[in-house]
Amino acid sequence: MKKLVHVAAATLIAASCGTAVPVFAEDVTVKLWSRADRSGPLRAGNIVAAADQLNRILEASGADVRVVIDLIETNARGFDADSLDVLKAHSVGDTPDILVAAHEWIGSFVEAGLAANLEEHIAANEPLYADMIPQLWESVKYKGERYGIPQDSEIRMFFLNNDILRATGKSEEFIAGLPAAVEAGEFTMYDFCDLAAEAVNSGAAKVGWVHRPNVGPDFQMAMASFGIDIYNEDEAKLQVTKKGLVAYYSWLQYCVENGSLPADMTTWSWDSVHAAFRGGDALSKFHGIWNVGAQLESFGVSGAEEYFNLITWIHSPPGEKGGQPKNLSHPIVYVVGDTPNKDLAAMIVALASQHVPNTAHAVGTNHTPINYGQAAMPEFVEKGWALIAGTPMLKHAEFMPNHAKIGQYNAITYQGVQAVETGELSPEEAAELVIDELEVELGDDVIILD
Amino acid sequence: MRSSTFRTGTNMLVFLGPASFFLVCLLLAPIFVDLVVAFTDMAQTIRINEFTTKQFSKLVRASEDAWLGFELRSSFYRALSLSAVYIFFTLAIFNLTFGLILALTTTALPDWLGGVYRAIWLLPRMSPSVVYALMWIWVVDPTERGLLNQVIGVLGFSPINMKLDAPIVLIVTANGFIGASIGMLILTSSIRSIPEHLFFAARADGAGSLSIVRHIVLPALRWPLSYITVFQFLALLVSFEYIFLIMGPARSTMTMAMLAYTKTLAPDIGAGQYAYGAAITLILIVIGVFVALVLYRLANMTRLLMSPRIEVQ
Repeated sequence: MKKLVHVAAATLIAASCGTAVPVFAEDVTVKLWSRADRSGPLRAGNIVAAADQLNRILEASGADVRVVIDLIETNARGFDADSLDVLKAHSVGDTPDILVAAHEWIGSFVEAGLAANLEEHIAANEPLYADMIPQLWESVKYKGERYGIPQDSEIRMFFLNNDILRATGKSEEFIAGLPAAVEAGEFTMYDFCDLAAEAVNSGAAKVGWVHRPNVGPDFQMAMASFGIDIYNEDEAKLQVTKKGLVAYYSWLQYCVENGSLPADMTTWSWDSVHAAFRGGDALSKFHGIWNVGAQLESFGVSGAEEYFNLITWIHSPPGEKGGQPKNLSHPIVYVVGDTPNKDLAAMIVALASQHVPNTAHAVGTNHTPINYGQAAMPEFVEKGWALIAGTPMLKHAEFMPNHAKIGQYNAITYQGVQAVETGELSPEEAAELVIDELEVELGDDVIILD
Repeated sequence: MRSSTFRTGTNMLVFLGPASFFLVCLLLAPIFVDLVVAFTDMAQTIRINEFTTKQFSKLVRASEDAWLGFELRSSFYRALSLSAVYIFFTLAIFNLTFGLILALTTTALPDWLGGVYRAIWLLPRMSPSVVYALMWIWVVDPTERGLLNQVIGVLGFSPINMKLDAPIVLIVTANGFIGASIGMLILTSSIRSIPEHLFFAARADGAGSLSIVRHIVLPALRWPLSYITVFQFLALLVSFEYIFLIMGPARSTMTMAMLAYTKTLAPDIGAGQYAYGAAITLILIVIGVFVALVLYRLANMTRLLMSPRIEVQ
């Protein structure tokens, strides 16, 4: 027995001296902050998998470090609430190493000293990011520098129910020609409302069209259709024009008055909004491409042919004839915390952003890819037909500005939406109210252009 | 002597210590924190970069025509007005009048039947607030699926949309049904405490039910009614739970408490302006203290709270 112990001890000593693999590797805990989100469980899952991959690389190289992911999964209701939570945690010294966030919060994260500048990391690891769709980098820039890595991409648009258009008496040629008419600037926002009102008046639809019932990015594309460019990149400030706001609110008022948009839209629940379109009651809804999965299920269709026979996609039409259509992409991003672990965390993010893990997320949750090459992957070709169809729409895409006060800006302009739709204020009064509130609450962070 | 002083000190610590601790931590500290935060620039993070009065300047604007040199900004003025309307009608119609009617009617019924009615009226208060709000959302659903529209549909009327056309009526009613039960309980208890011989004597003198209510019951309810008015006013002033659950952050029901909530903690509506919300809350505290003192004076509450001059056995 004694001899056996000696042999074992000698073997252990020999093993620890004779190989590069340490017996006891040091664990480095990387804190990952992510909200529990049904629309993207792999946002956090890919980081965990990437850490496993990194550990295998570390093991093979004989490094005496191992990464342990400490997942802080929050139950915040949305990305806005989650970002406020993480900012509070950061301000008491509990900064995560990796954060899954909506990109427009990057400005706040940088100002609060939470986000690490990733320019050096991206430059040093150029092969890992070389295939990234270039437009997406815009979504992670703050004052010209990159503070995040795009995690997914999407495209927001107007969905139209073709069966309702047919029941309204519209021909197949008209339906098939709608996207091109919008693209050419011939079909305007007012034409859209008239079409929706026609569907309601003919009895083909119970509701003309629906929009989100709360503050959110979707409205930016409608504002852009009326020429409102909400960000001045040179000065890194938000901006607004009264003329643009009046045009935008006048359009909403027109839609309510012609019966195509419910006046109480802003008091609906999300469930009611989804049910109105997916239940076949509403002609149109504007929202994101990830809705396709739920639409397939609700309408009982499968495959591209059946789907596009039922649903037409259009950009947000221009405000007036000859104008530019607009739409919006709202990427979710990985932000690396400015912590001692930031280099390690950035490498984990780089691994999680590669084609295979990102495709698993994109195809599983109907988000457009972040790398060009993903569209050629068999899984994408087979299951991601909707995403491949949506990717060309990105050419008209805008992003929300990465400004610390964009949330407040959106909340204030949404007040105008509420006031006009419910008939409380005229478009001019609403524009005045909104500009007044923007000036008071945002101060120097907003430029009033007229 | 020293032992006696020590014991007095120990007793004070043992008996008053826990109460004082909670008084300071749960009642005074939040007000103090609110007071400090209201005069800072705290937003998004919970860091303070500077002490400033700019949060209050968001609520008013300079005006040469105004009496005090400034006027209330429209959103703040609107929130104040909506709060006043909401509190007045909830208090007057439900918490006081309806609570009184419930107390009078249920005490006039046989005990078991009155008990059943009171228990039913307590159900809204016993329900989780989310469930109660959800019921209201279903009741006032603007389509023909809504319970209210089903009922008025049977009567031959077209559907109505309370959330759009009568939002204040909706939040007053929803809050009122809950507030009425508190009034009912307190007033029932007060009616029960009126000596029975007074009722017998009144009956013997030929008084009718209305006369008994007017000359015996109502005078006995003066103090409870004053108490309910002050207590419920303060509760309504800061209440936003049911408004938010039923209406969301709608402009039509953006009372002061809702405004403070949406600027600070409400999800998806531009929250995170902690100092701004604290400033609004501080104004609510000042209004609460002022109105409570006025009501206290008007209702002569001092007499209610003073020791009786004669001990009645």
